[in-house]
Amino acid sequence: MKTNGIVRGLTLAGGLLMSLAAGAQEPGITDKTIKIGIFGPLSGQNMAYGFDVVNAAKMYYDKVNKDGGIHGRKIEYVVEDDRCNANDLVAAVKKLVEQENVFMLNGGSCSAAVVAAKDYIVRNKVPYLMLNASGDGALFPPTDYIFGAFSISQYAVGGAMVEFAAKSLGAKTVAYINHDDAYGAWNLEGSKKDAEVNGVKLVVESVNPTINDVTAPFLKLRAANPDAILLVTYARPAALLIKKAAELGFNKPIILSVTGTASLNQLVGNVGKDALKNFYTQEVMIDSPGGDKLKPIYDMYKAAYPDLAAKPDHPQTYMPYGIPPAMSLVKALQDAGPNPTREKVLAALKAQDFDSGVMAGRMQFGPQQRAANRSTIFIKYDGTTMAPLPGVFTSRWTYEAK
Amino acid sequence: MDLQLALIFLQQGIASGLVSGSVYALLALAIVIIFKTSDVPNFAQGEVFMAAGYVALYLFVFQQMPIWIVLPATLLAAFLAMALFRRVVLDQVAKSAKDLVYLVIATLGLSYVLKGLVRRTGFGDTPRSFPALVPTDSVMIGQASVTLLDLAIFGTAVAVMAAFFWMFNYTKTGRAMRAVGMNPKAAQLVGVDLRRCHMLIWGLSGVISAIAALLISPKILMTADMGSIVMLAFAAAIVGGFSSLPGAIVGGFIIGIVENMVGLFISSRAIVLAPFLAILIVLVLRPQGLFGGKLTIKKV
Repeated sequence: MKTNGIVRGLTLAGGLLMSLAAGAQEPGITDKTIKIGIFGPLSGQNMAYGFDVVNAAKMYYDKVNKDGGIHGRKIEYVVEDDRCNANDLVAAVKKLVEQENVFMLNGGSCSAAVVAAKDYIVRNKVPYLMLNASGDGALFPPTDYIFGAFSISQYAVGGAMVEFAAKSLGAKTVAYINHDDAYGAWNLEGSKKDAEVNGVKLVVESVNPTINDVTAPFLKLRAANPDAILLVTYARPAALLIKKAAELGFNKPIILSVTGTASLNQLVGNVGKDALKNFYTQEVMIDSPGGDKLKPIYDMYKAAYPDLAAKPDHPQTYMPYGIPPAMSLVKALQDAGPNPTREKVLAALKAQDFDSGVMAGRMQFGPQQRAANRSTIFIKYDGTTMAPLPGVFTSRWTYEAK
Repeated sequence: MDLQLALIFLQQGIASGLVSGSVYALLALAIVIIFKTSDVPNFAQGEVFMAAGYVALYLFVFQQMPIWIVLPATLLAAFLAMALFRRVVLDQVAKSAKDLVYLVIATLGLSYVLKGLVRRTGFGDTPRSFPALVPTDSVMIGQASVTLLDLAIFGTAVAVMAAFFWMFNYTKTGRAMRAVGMNPKAAQLVGVDLRRCHMLIWGLSGVISAIAALLISPKILMTADMGSIVMLAFAAAIVGGFSSLPGAIVGGFIIGIVENMVGLFISSRAIVLAPFLAILIVLVLRPQGLFGGKLTIKKV
């Protein structure tokens, strides 16, 4: 009796130690839950890039939980506001990893901010899937821990735009405005590859994202007599340039990158319908925002957030972008089996290839590939009607170790 | 670049530079009148400009009030906010701390408060355009294209500056303000109410900032960070000579034109550096600024 008691006690203590050891190795995992950390801009002037993207990811996790979870475990998420700011984002990541002990991370809507967390994430070996940030600087050179560009990589944004301008609009000389930072440099690098293949001459002007007077860069581009203008900036400089083009009577095609379309309604309000007579926007989804092919996602949003859905301009443009990263995370956890470890999840991610049904291209990773989507569609927009154009345009850029 | 194109760029650069420069000049004027009378560089001037713009946007766009109510209401709000800040906050800070640096820190505090307040409303989350009150049709001046709005901005800014010059030079209140700027103790001895004068000056600087906001907001798109434009106004004030009202105005026009010229003839990337380049050149050649008077060196 006494011996049995000792054996039972030792077994219990051994089990406890093993579970503690397992717990130490794999934070955030219990028999019933997997804890993940979500972050994005929930406030501030860039919240349109991430507020509803976070909501979309949450509602997908809620749906997975409702359908039984992953190998019997429910997803438990903790959400932090990163305000699209590098300092706030790194603080949010540290809090999620060190205080909340999450198993993995799923967050970030702004490229420059997510890049700031790269070193910390790699050092701590935490699997990290971005939300809709392109985050090219964190994706390339590839690491074992960071995966992203589920909406699209900046390397691919510019390349796909050049491809569209050449193939659909027959442009030979393309005026190209990017930001004068790393974000703009990634974009331009991808564009150069597609310009070379298509025999397109790129005339480039790089502007600071805080620019107030765009007269000089616009005049210089117009002087090159381009067949089309490609705007690959955030929403504010893009709107200033579209206004300036209308003011100066420029009537050739203007193509706006997906990064400049935080709110098309607001764009119309800011530039006026007359400025959009020959205007195209890039979209990374299979359909225009609110289009038929995306109806299930919008229906899910209405059911999950009835109060928000009743507000004007909700869901925000980028809302569906939150679904593919959440799908990728769930799929990786499923593929990792009933006893997931971070290493198993990372291995599953490197081999991932699936159709999200949301984005224009497949979600594909590989040994050197950390950007999931490289494809876009284009929409003719006149300030009232969005008409998706035929064809999917894919950038040719791929990472090559230097 | 051929000569014809260079000539077009030159004319356009001057025309666009005068328009944006007129707004920098207004903001520089607001900074300088405070500095001349209080010895305090007001680091909240940009946020006062931004907040005034949002007050107008809220009343005009979201409350759909008529413009003849919106304009005076915005100017009044800016006047009262700045006058009360001087009376309630700065006077208190000055009483408890003799060092001017605390007043400067208080202005920094105001800038954070105003930015925070605008962000709390949610209106600052998306870049917005304040509706232009005059048409935006283009007209050609020489080979430069400007809009009617540009002409209205330039004309209004020049008229406002002229009105303030008249006030400072030819009215009793204006002369009292200049006296406070030259020697506050002597001004007090001859019967100038220092507290009232300071409130009036700070209030007027708010009004000037609000006018600048109403003029430029239809062109630059409003965000909670639009106050950063004040860096250009500081550059204008430094180039002109920080204690000179005409200097602030000339400095504003110089910065506006230099920005455009650098963008057109050197590189768009260098536009943000242009004001600092102008400051550097002026400080090396004439440390007191173009209109800063004789250089004086204080013994420490």
